[in-house]
Amino acid sequence: MKRRWSFSFPSLLLVLSLLVAACSGTPANQAQGDAKPAENKPAEPAKTAASSTPADTLFVGITADQGTLDPAVTFDNGAWKITYPAYQRLVEYDGATTEVKPGLAKEWKVSDDGLNWTFTLAEGNKFADGTPVTAEAVKFTFDRTLKIKKGPADVYSVIKEVKVDSPTSVTFVLSKNFPPFLSTLAANYGGIVNPKVMEKEQNGDLGQNYLANNTMGSGPYQLTEWRKGEYIKLTVNPNSSVKPALQNIFFKIIPDATAQRLQLEQGEIDIAEGIPNEQLKALKDSPNIDVLQQPSLFVDYIYVNSSKGNEALKNPKVRQALSYAIDYDALTESVQEGYATQMRGPIPKGLWGYDESSFQYKRDVEKAKSLLAEAGVSNLTLDLLYSDNKAWWETEALALQAFFSDIGVKLNLKKIAYATSREMIDKGEFDLAMGVWSPDFGDPYMFMNYWFDSVNFGLAGNRAFYKNDKVDELVRKAASVNDKAEREKLYQEAQKIVIDEAPYLYLYQKDFLLPVSKSVKGFVYNPMLEGIYNLAEMSK
Amino acid sequence: MRQIIAKRLSMLVLVLLGVTLITFFLSHVIPGDPARMMVGQRASEETLQEVRRQLGLDQPVWVQYFTYMQGLLAGDFGNSIRTQQPVVDDLIKFFPATLELALTAFIIAIVIGIPIGILSAVKKDTGWDHTGRFFSIAGISTPVFWSGLIGILIFYKFFDLLPSSGRIDLTVTPPTTITGLYLFDSLVTGNWAAFGNSLWHLALPACTLAFAQLAIVTRQVRASMLEVLGQEYIRTALANGIHGPVLLFRYALRNALIPTITVVGLSFGSLLGGAVVTETIFSWPGMGKYVVESIAFLDFPAIMGFTFVISFGYVIINLLVDLTYYALDPQIKE
Repeated sequence: MKRRWSFSFPSLLLVLSLLVAACSGTPANQAQGDAKPAENKPAEPAKTAASSTPADTLFVGITADQGTLDPAVTFDNGAWKITYPAYQRLVEYDGATTEVKPGLAKEWKVSDDGLNWTFTLAEGNKFADGTPVTAEAVKFTFDRTLKIKKGPADVYSVIKEVKVDSPTSVTFVLSKNFPPFLSTLAANYGGIVNPKVMEKEQNGDLGQNYLANNTMGSGPYQLTEWRKGEYIKLTVNPNSSVKPALQNIFFKIIPDATAQRLQLEQGEIDIAEGIPNEQLKALKDSPNIDVLQQPSLFVDYIYVNSSKGNEALKNPKVRQALSYAIDYDALTESVQEGYATQMRGPIPKGLWGYDESSFQYKRDVEKAKSLLAEAGVSNLTLDLLYSDNKAWWETEALALQAFFSDIGVKLNLKKIAYATSREMIDKGEFDLAMGVWSPDFGDPYMFMNYWFDSVNFGLAGNRAFYKNDKVDELVRKAASVNDKAEREKLYQEAQKIVIDEAPYLYLYQKDFLLPVSKSVKGFVYNPMLEGIYNLAEMSK
Repeated sequence: MRQIIAKRLSMLVLVLLGVTLITFFLSHVIPGDPARMMVGQRASEETLQEVRRQLGLDQPVWVQYFTYMQGLLAGDFGNSIRTQQPVVDDLIKFFPATLELALTAFIIAIVIGIPIGILSAVKKDTGWDHTGRFFSIAGISTPVFWSGLIGILIFYKFFDLLPSSGRIDLTVTPPTTITGLYLFDSLVTGNWAAFGNSLWHLALPACTLAFAQLAIVTRQVRASMLEVLGQEYIRTALANGIHGPVLLFRYALRNALIPTITVVGLSFGSLLGGAVVTETIFSWPGMGKYVVESIAFLDFPAIMGFTFVISFGYVIINLLVDLTYYALDPQIKE
């Protein structure tokens, strides 16, 4: 009886495939299926001729459908990839940098006290329906965002008033000096909305319902079709002054990573966003696919509690010793498959203000031990607080435990619920804690003022409870002047101190990885626009 | 009969009330805050409170529940937090896709499963039986994400015969919406291009889903057939010279189908709610995929809407199963 069960695996596959073939739809294909028995096939290489896509159409595989597309509401990068090319902003991020260049505004000036920003609009920009972009539209956009009072309103809470000086000139009156203001205008929520959206208003929603599913901007593209759960289609805005090479963009929703990978390999999609790191290694060898790799501005670091934790941590030498204990390359290899770049102080690579010449810690066990001896510390035991918020933190905690034991520091791992861990971090009830950070706008303010100004103790940003009067002075000054060169100098000076005093263990920036078909040309990765494509400059 | 239906329908109201109550409170005790998801990590407390107020999250949970139920009674499932659209609109878009997939898979499973089950029972312990049972075991023990991927590898990657994702090609216009079931709508409107294309897209996911269901049907039919065939009235019938197809279909199968209907009916319910994995693998724009995305966003109006529709479907299927019982088995009529 038993022997009847001894089916071999190939025959199972054969049976299985014949069954599915029997149910398949089109007769023409069935005939083809019958002609090719399954058993010898799997060894044969895939053919791709049948599924290459038209040259004026780009197919991007995304993992999930999008929520609302209203620039005044959405705080989600996923939605930004749709909206960013559909709207224009007063200023735009310049190429691959975090600096800004003219957008709708051809020039701007700021008053000496930093409270009045005046923008002069370039002529000839039109919304997709042909309406010209005027100063009124700019005022309307920001008034609307502030009235809707959702996430983006918070970013612009510094705006006291928007004044129309003339059809081509608009002035923002701020309630306080805020040098990063210019950078916030280049973000997605700075997209200028066609005031005609008010014709679509329902129950006083300022058109939120309509803009959740439609775009009304002056960007080179507009949303023309959204088949929920299937794809989102952008086509060229006929009234835009830009004439892009790509006429149609399909964002295809493909939740399964393997399915995405297969479609990319078959040439059915040109870009696949949902393929995990471990599968990318295999894709790198594929002849038709490039895997782009760039440092992102998403950093992973450790807060060293410099005033409320273990007494020993108040001594900078102990904090330096911890920084010297870590083998940074081994760490990124084990927790990020090597797809990460070691930090060099708080300001990450890719953001202006990054200092290539600044000091970078390397593993040096002897030096770490002697620093501990100089500090008069022995048998140090520290707690490391972390949660399940990031999947890799468990591995990272174990790696740190091993590194620290090499210099004679015992590390207790304390893993607790995310919500609780946030509360404990806010109150300073920890020795060391794991954290991640990414900037909302392209300005070192996001790192230097949040992380080091002593008014920001706790979750607000200074999670190391670090206080240094000189650093306070430098970063506050940098946040009060509008001259970029001077600000950069101030930030770099402050950065030298905080690298030396090591209130954080500066671990790594995660890499941004994207598998792209070799036929796609012209894509430029901007670290502030992660997941957003410069579609108008791309081609196939 | 009518009394029974009326009674069952009144029970239905209670069941659904319980379902809404449990889902609502469950979705409110899980940690996480949809308002926080909307405003971003570093938003001020003021903005957060404002958004919570706009969403009604600042009210006590029971007040929120009553507000929700008030809306529900008027046929309003509320607005999705993620898409800002009425949940009803979203469900109307996604339900037909799931129903089409589940129905097709169900029909394939029945049409193939019942004959295999009968064959296995009649030709017990022969090669036929073993092959049939092998299929059952394979189907029931193969996770859908695996058989689906194998299907994609074979029919999409190696042979390039069938598409791996979606309901219809991007270049083909879907049929005019009547029921939302593409096959049905295109058939009714005579849109043959759309019919062929959606059938072609349906083949792989439906067969994958059917493969798992097939096992349940086959095993159940085989088991009940064997039981029935061993009973005395069959022997009596045989002794009276009744044999062949008449014996099999008129005497045996009718009785063997009663337990089968329960199992198969309930499995259809789980097809509706449980096609999540299949929908994910094949990028099928159905409710399963929608609810997974909603859960990730803690979008509780959408989660509630989904649960409500699925429970409603389940209860109705249960009712239909019971009614079929009455039709098939005169003994239960009292």
